[in-house]
Amino acid sequence: MIVPLTHVLILAAILFCLGLGCVLAWSSNVIMLLIGIEIMLNAAMLVFVGGSCQWGMADGQVFALMIIAMTSAEVSLALALVVYLHRRRKTVDVDAFRELRDNETKP
Amino acid sequence: MKLSLELIVLLPLLGSLFNALLGRIVPRRLAETIACAVIWGSFVAALAAARAYSGPVTMEMASWLSAFDFHAPLTLYLDSLSLILCLMITFVCGLIHVYAVGYMQDEPGYCRFFALLNLFVAAMLLLVLAENLPLLYLGWEGVGFCSYFLIGFWYQDPNNATAGRKAFIVTRIGDVGLALAIVWIFQSLGTVSITQVNQMGHSLPLGVITGLGLLMLLGAMGKSAQVPLMVWLPDAMAGPTPVSAQIHAATMVTAGVYLLMRLFPLIGLSATVTAAIAVTGALTAFYGATCALVQRDLKRILAYSTISQIGYMVLGVGVGALTASTFHLIEHAFFKALLFLGAGCVITALHHEQDIFRMGGLRRTLPATFYCFLAGALCLAGLPLTGGFFSKDGILAAVWQQGGLLGGGLYALGLLTALLTAVYTFRMVFLIFGGNEAQGPLASAPLAAKGKPHQTLPSVMQWTLIPLALLGLGGGLLNLPAYLGQGWMAQLLAPLDHGDQHGLSLGVELTLQGLAASISLAGVALAWFRFGGARRAQRLAEAEQPVRGLAAFLLAGWYVDALYRLLFVRPYAWLSGVLWQGVDEGLVDQSFDQMGTLLGRCGQRLGSWSCGRVSIYLLSLSAGAALCIGWFAWGAL
Amino acid sequence: MSGLPILSLLVLLPLAGGLCLLPLGRRPGLAKAVALGFGLVETLLSCACWLASYSPVPSGAPQGFFLFEDYRWIESFGIRYTLGMDGISLLMVILTALVTVLAILVSWRSIHERISLHFMLLLLMESGIMGVFLSLDLFLFYLFWEAMLIPMFFLIGVWGHGRNIYSALKFFLFTLSGSLLMLLAIIGIYLIHGSQSGSYSFALTALTGTALSPATGLWLYGAFLLAFAIKFPLVPLHTWLPDAHTDAPTAGSVILAGLLLKTGAYGLIRFGYPLFADAARILTPLVLAPAVIGILYASWVAFSQKDMKRLVAYSSVGHMGFVALGIAAWTPVALSGAILQMVNHGLTTSALFALVGMLDERARTREIAAFGGLWGKMPMFSFFFMLFAMASAGLPGLNNFVGEFLILTGTFKVAPLATALAFIGVILPLIYTVRLIQKLLFQEERQPLPLSDLNRRELIVMGVLALGAFYLGLHPTPLLDMLKIPVALLIGGMP
Repeated sequence: MIVPLTHVLILAAILFCLGLGCVLAWSSNVIMLLIGIEIMLNAAMLVFVGGSCQWGMADGQVFALMIIAMTSAEVSLALALVVYLHRRRKTVDVDAFRELRDNETKP
Repeated sequence: MKLSLELIVLLPLLGSLFNALLGRIVPRRLAETIACAVIWGSFVAALAAARAYSGPVTMEMASWLSAFDFHAPLTLYLDSLSLILCLMITFVCGLIHVYAVGYMQDEPGYCRFFALLNLFVAAMLLLVLAENLPLLYLGWEGVGFCSYFLIGFWYQDPNNATAGRKAFIVTRIGDVGLALAIVWIFQSLGTVSITQVNQMGHSLPLGVITGLGLLMLLGAMGKSAQVPLMVWLPDAMAGPTPVSAQIHAATMVTAGVYLLMRLFPLIGLSATVTAAIAVTGALTAFYGATCALVQRDLKRILAYSTISQIGYMVLGVGVGALTASTFHLIEHAFFKALLFLGAGCVITALHHEQDIFRMGGLRRTLPATFYCFLAGALCLAGLPLTGGFFSKDGILAAVWQQGGLLGGGLYALGLLTALLTAVYTFRMVFLIFGGNEAQGPLASAPLAAKGKPHQTLPSVMQWTLIPLALLGLGGGLLNLPAYLGQGWMAQLLAPLDHGDQHGLSLGVELTLQGLAASISLAGVALAWFRFGGARRAQRLAEAEQPVRGLAAFLLAGWYVDALYRLLFVRPYAWLSGVLWQGVDEGLVDQSFDQMGTLLGRCGQRLGSWSCGRVSIYLLSLSAGAALCIGWFAWGAL
Repeated sequence: MSGLPILSLLVLLPLAGGLCLLPLGRRPGLAKAVALGFGLVETLLSCACWLASYSPVPSGAPQGFFLFEDYRWIESFGIRYTLGMDGISLLMVILTALVTVLAILVSWRSIHERISLHFMLLLLMESGIMGVFLSLDLFLFYLFWEAMLIPMFFLIGVWGHGRNIYSALKFFLFTLSGSLLMLLAIIGIYLIHGSQSGSYSFALTALTGTALSPATGLWLYGAFLLAFAIKFPLVPLHTWLPDAHTDAPTAGSVILAGLLLKTGAYGLIRFGYPLFADAARILTPLVLAPAVIGILYASWVAFSQKDMKRLVAYSSVGHMGFVALGIAAWTPVALSGAILQMVNHGLTTSALFALVGMLDERARTREIAAFGGLWGKMPMFSFFFMLFAMASAGLPGLNNFVGEFLILTGTFKVAPLATALAFIGVILPLIYTVRLIQKLLFQEERQPLPLSDLNRRELIVMGVLALGAFYLGLHPTPLLDMLKIPVALLIGGMP
């Protein structure tokens, strides 16, 4: 392999952490959450491709393509939800929607 | 013999049951007759037992407590001591029952009264005839309960109920001493049978015997109203007079003396115990006499007098003179019951007036009562040739014979008390019966105004006094001193007596008797000087002044009551409140409650995790994932 | 008679009775009668067991047990359905049956809502308590131990007064926390025994011989002791009792005082000591000290109570302290006295609670200060009250004295100091008893209250109890004889 698997994995891990960081840091904004999730998914895809290269089987790349397709569908649905939620509450702060809490706790 | 013994105890018990269950249904006269008849039947049974008596007899009736090696069956034991006591108890109580029929004739609660009176006699007889200690304890507590209930008989007045309560609690403090002694005896000797305990007593170490003796002395102190547990007896006079006569003069208060006599072969082995008993007795005798000197309430005088006379009996036991003590016990039963019954006559006749400074001239208006009362007073004061003289002198002679510093000191104290006894006795007589009716500013003006000076006394009340008077005066015949012929009682009780009472020489004995006689005559003279004749009116006038100084001290019973209230009663109640509010509700309950609240609050804090905020959930998810990965990474390293 | 599974009948009959009451919600009169019928049949059965003690012992029964049933249940865990009766459980079973009938009769007219449910709960509780006294399999014992709690919780919570929910919760949580630790200990000894002998079993007879290391034994016994100490109750774990008693309805108090407190003592005798003989001996001071403290402390606190029921509740703590003292001494006389005292206390305190309940029913108050002069207004009631109050204070001739005296006699041998202190505890109950009697029965009445004397039902109940009190006080020999063999076996089996 041109690029050792270790490097690929490190890059994927960094990407994953960046994506996680994005999710946690901008937890107030739904769009940023989605972007963060996208980055984490891309990191996973990278691992698949690296693995496929390492073992010379096409399964990893096939799965990477599947991930692309899935994320597109997921993002479109998510954005549609975001538009709908924004119409309801005029905000994209995910913490504003707390209906699924334990009723004893103060809102 | 077996039948007689059973009947002695069973008849009063049956009488009690009859009155308790059926008394209200049957006519009043029938209930009262049954109540009296069972006691007299018991007396007849005791006489039959006396005729058939040829030596100590043990009879097992039924089993009561029996667990492994602990056995306490219902066994009755008849020896000379219990025989004499049975005869005395049944006779005196029989007379008192008849008297009570008259005394309580206006009382609606007569069923309860006679049921309790009978139950009391049954318990007392059981106590005297018991062969083992738990059975004695059964009778012991039984008389205590009856006493409690009878003192508070007129329960509507809180003072009566309180007096009964006081009696029960104070005597129970003593009872606990007895119970502890019983348990200790069982642990040391493996048996609770009195006969066996007395035989085996010498095998115990001296310390154990001393401990047992002191515990039994504690029990006797409670029941027989000795110092320091005597505070209940003066207040117990709140009960009806027949109750005072029966329970608090003739029978229950002698139970303590009986206990000490019964177990003397055991506890007499320790010199400490006998000294303690003797000192207690002498001190109590002195205390009672001093307090009786200044009392105004007739029954209270007699109460303190009882305390004092029982002190004499205890003193006698302490020096080993069991015969003399028994003799004094019997004599005291006669004349003290007589005095109480006479007092009852006086009180009833004067419409329940009990203050002796408001009485007067009764020797003309109640002559029969006067002469009987006088007979009792002569015996109490110990005037020569009365039964009381011989009995008291017997004890004093025995104390003198004891010798040593203790014997001498106790003898002096006993003699002084005899003087005081004569003084207060005749103070009482002169104040009640002396003078004329309407004399002095304290004359019972309301009575004169009523027109009818005296309430008519039921004749039974006066008739029952006569046998007691005769027995009191002639009682000396029961146990004449050695130089006048061998005492009958001494012969009968010889197996019990350990002190060598017959060792006094004739000269010494005559001297001692002479001394005692002169002391009592001097006391009467002193009383005459102060209260007799013309001086009586003076005393009545003085009595209106508030009491001060020494008189106040003696009137309040040396302030022992107040002391106990300060030391025990108030702290007890206060501590009870503190333990309840402070410790139970405060400390223990609060700590559990607070633990519960704490757990509740922790639960709430934990519950605040599920707040519905996605950001928190994401944070938690990532943290958890990081931990898991970290764990596996660590493991892999 | 020999083929009849009488022990299972004893346990399951009240359960069946309770279920029979379910459809009778709209017919309270019939429900009461059915409940009483089941109670009486149960009493007859338990008395019949006394006769069974004279017939030959069934095969397979452990030593001392004259009735025995043993069936397979959950084989894979070694749990068997084992019931057995010896002298001790016989007395407890008879007491249970009698006290339940008393509870039924006492609450005949004082319950006004959900009547059939109330009586059903009484019968279910009887079933649970019977199971506790009869089971010889540890798992089965634990099952019934927990099953006792639930009906009582509902009794206090639904029909109680005052802070009844708080008291019910407190009672439930206290007992449950102890029981859970006991469950752990049960599983512990089960596992230890299994690993030692290869066969896993919850049966008492099998587990009795387990060899335990001293430390393990102490911990396991400690867990058992905690569970039983809460039930006794031993000071300072007693605070659930005054609240539970005061706020419970009369039937609840009667069963609580008469029966539930005894289950703790029984558990200690039947399971605690035989399973952990060494640990029990080492930890004796842990039972002795709270017992003596409880006797003195509870009697002292009872003096200042203003609520009648609370006073009797504290007196219960004091009396059970005596029982604990007798058990801790573990000598034949003391243990016989303790078991006898369990029966006596069940009788006396149930009677006292019943009397207080009768007063409560009539006057709608339990404040002592509201009463006075009852002797004139309610003579029969006062007679019984005086009788049972004196019995409670340990008057000889009545039942409590016998038990107390035997306990003190037996304990003096091994713990003289504790016994001497306990003797002070003989004075203290008298102090609050005579105070209560004076304030209730004597003196003048404080306020005019509509008080009628005992009716026929109450008179019969109290009469029977009074006869029992006199009989047990004057002739306890049959009971003491019944206890000879089991007590000798329990103590003789100890090193």
